Amino acid sequence: MNLQSRRSKLLAKASAFGRFVENTFLSLLLAGMIGLAALQIVLRWSDLGSLVWGDEAIRLMVLWIAMIAGIAAAREDRHIAIDVLSRFLGTRSKAITAVIVDLFTAAVCLALAWYGWGMLRFALDDGDVFFGNLPAWFFQSIIPAAFALMAYRYFLWFLRGLRTFISGDAK
Amino acid sequence: MIAVSLALILLALLGAPLFAIIAAGALLSFYQMDPEFGPIAVPIEIFSIAEMPILLAIPLFTFAGYVLSESEAPGRLVRLTRAMLGWMPGGLAIVCIVACAFFTAFTGASGVTIIALGAILYPALTQAGYDEKFNLGLVTAGGSLGLLFAPSLPLILYGVVAEVNIDDLFIAGIFPGLLMLASLSAYALWMNRGNRVPLSEFSWGEVGAALRESIWELPLPIVVLGGIYSGLLAVSEAAAVTAVYVILTEVVIRREISLSKMPEIMRESMVLVGGILLILGASLASTNYIIDAEVPQQLIGFVNNFVDSRTSFLVLLLLFLLVLGAFLDIFSALVLVVPLILPVAAEYNVEPVHLGMVFLATMQLGYLTPPVGLNLFIASYRFDQPIVRVYLATLPFLLILLVAVIVITFFPALSLTMLD
Repeated sequence: MNLQSRRSKLLAKASAFGRFVENTFLSLLLAGMIGLAALQIVLRWSDLGSLVWGDEAIRLMVLWIAMIAGIAAAREDRHIAIDVLSRFLGTRSKAITAVIVDLFTAAVCLALAWYGWGMLRFALDDGDVFFGNLPAWFFQSIIPAAFALMAYRYFLWFLRGLRTFISGDAK
Repeated sequence: MIAVSLALILLALLGAPLFAIIAAGALLSFYQMDPEFGPIAVPIEIFSIAEMPILLAIPLFTFAGYVLSESEAPGRLVRLTRAMLGWMPGGLAIVCIVACAFFTAFTGASGVTIIALGAILYPALTQAGYDEKFNLGLVTAGGSLGLLFAPSLPLILYGVVAEVNIDDLFIAGIFPGLLMLASLSAYALWMNRGNRVPLSEFSWGEVGAALRESIWELPLPIVVLGGIYSGLLAVSEAAAVTAVYVILTEVVIRREISLSKMPEIMRESMVLVGGILLILGASLASTNYIIDAEVPQQLIGFVNNFVDSRTSFLVLLLLFLLVLGAFLDIFSALVLVVPLILPVAAEYNVEPVHLGMVFLATMQLGYLTPPVGLNLFIASYRFDQPIVRVYLATLPFLLILLVAVIVITFFPALSLTMLD
């Protein structure tokens, strides 16, 4: 087996693993959220009184799902976009606009990750808490983490686009 | 700043993700206000997704809709509507319209309807002797119906953004939604007046069999709407019950979806949800800036210059939304534009609920208008037809829906009468 094919096999494995991790997180969070929301209703109806932390947990789960799904969407470049002009472009100009667009998106995600980190530092300094005594920064950390991963994804898209553009064999 | 805005618009038109465009605009605006800490407002606003209890309804209804479309429920829905309406001349076209509307209400207008129902209805229509071009237009247009019926995703999102009671929106949508169904049905009947052969005899036996087959899905609308209007369930709770119910029936009882397929279905549905919520989060930040900068007030002043009555405002609004809908998808348009036009509409005594109906009904046309109408592309891809042919086939349906939208715009009573 030559180095090249070994490398691409490894990459494919890594990518399948990344997808698996995303799916696991999304499934666990979604299933947990459905279960918890249903439990809250049952508890409320049965006069047992719903869990005090339940609603806050559900709301945080919505955010975490949104952010992780954002990473998943970036992996497949499936974020909602308008994409009206590129239909009218030739292959060559399409390739160059894709490169610009992906670099722009990576940069914005990186900025969001950076300022998300800033938000975390504020929460740390102020000693913000959720659920009475758990540190807020932990629950907020998904924002810089997810945007950093999205930045990485779009940077990969950028590199791939650049390679296609330079080699000139745009699909 | 104008150059930056133009650059962002250009990037958006070239296909940059909209959340990135909106976030970039917000980051830059806050940076101008305070270079050191200003932009931190953007992630803080995104975090406020976790401060809106109603948003729970969005992932749960979307997931339930995806599970339904992956099961064999679409086939059962078509059989049932066919058993009940197939006896009419032109009945199958009506079947198509009703089934599509029902399905879209539950799947949130993401193009799933064309994929799930179109695959069944398109060949069935052709087989029943309907004109090929008519079928293509009908199925493409049908995939956008049902947007105004509870519990559709855009209705919920409008409630979130405009801070309007979602229960009220669910009620307000009934008549405008029915108007759209009725006008398309009337057109379908008129077009097929030569083809008077009913699809099948009406048979109580077939209705009974179809009802028995759909026994598990039938309670769904009752659970959702009954739960909400009896006061037993909040909207987000109804979404949770729907999700649990759909998993129990399609996965546990019917076993039409294997457990091993669930992670991919969850991923697929959440990718859509994540996309919508990120745009919402980014636009919460940009809206905040826009309101701080008093843009709505300036907009009111600007509009005041050449609009002096409610009617002329509505005309202008309709034209604006038609253009907007041709370029922007419904979710982005909702979160970006509603906060801007809401205060302007209030100046002209347009009720927020009525504005919602006008907004959503017009955006629904956006699914069918070139150049970026989502349904046109899905239909072109799904039925392997050239895009221009899909444009032309859909055009008559688009024009009829446009008439319905005009009626919805200028007769607010249609939306509001059930609320009084």
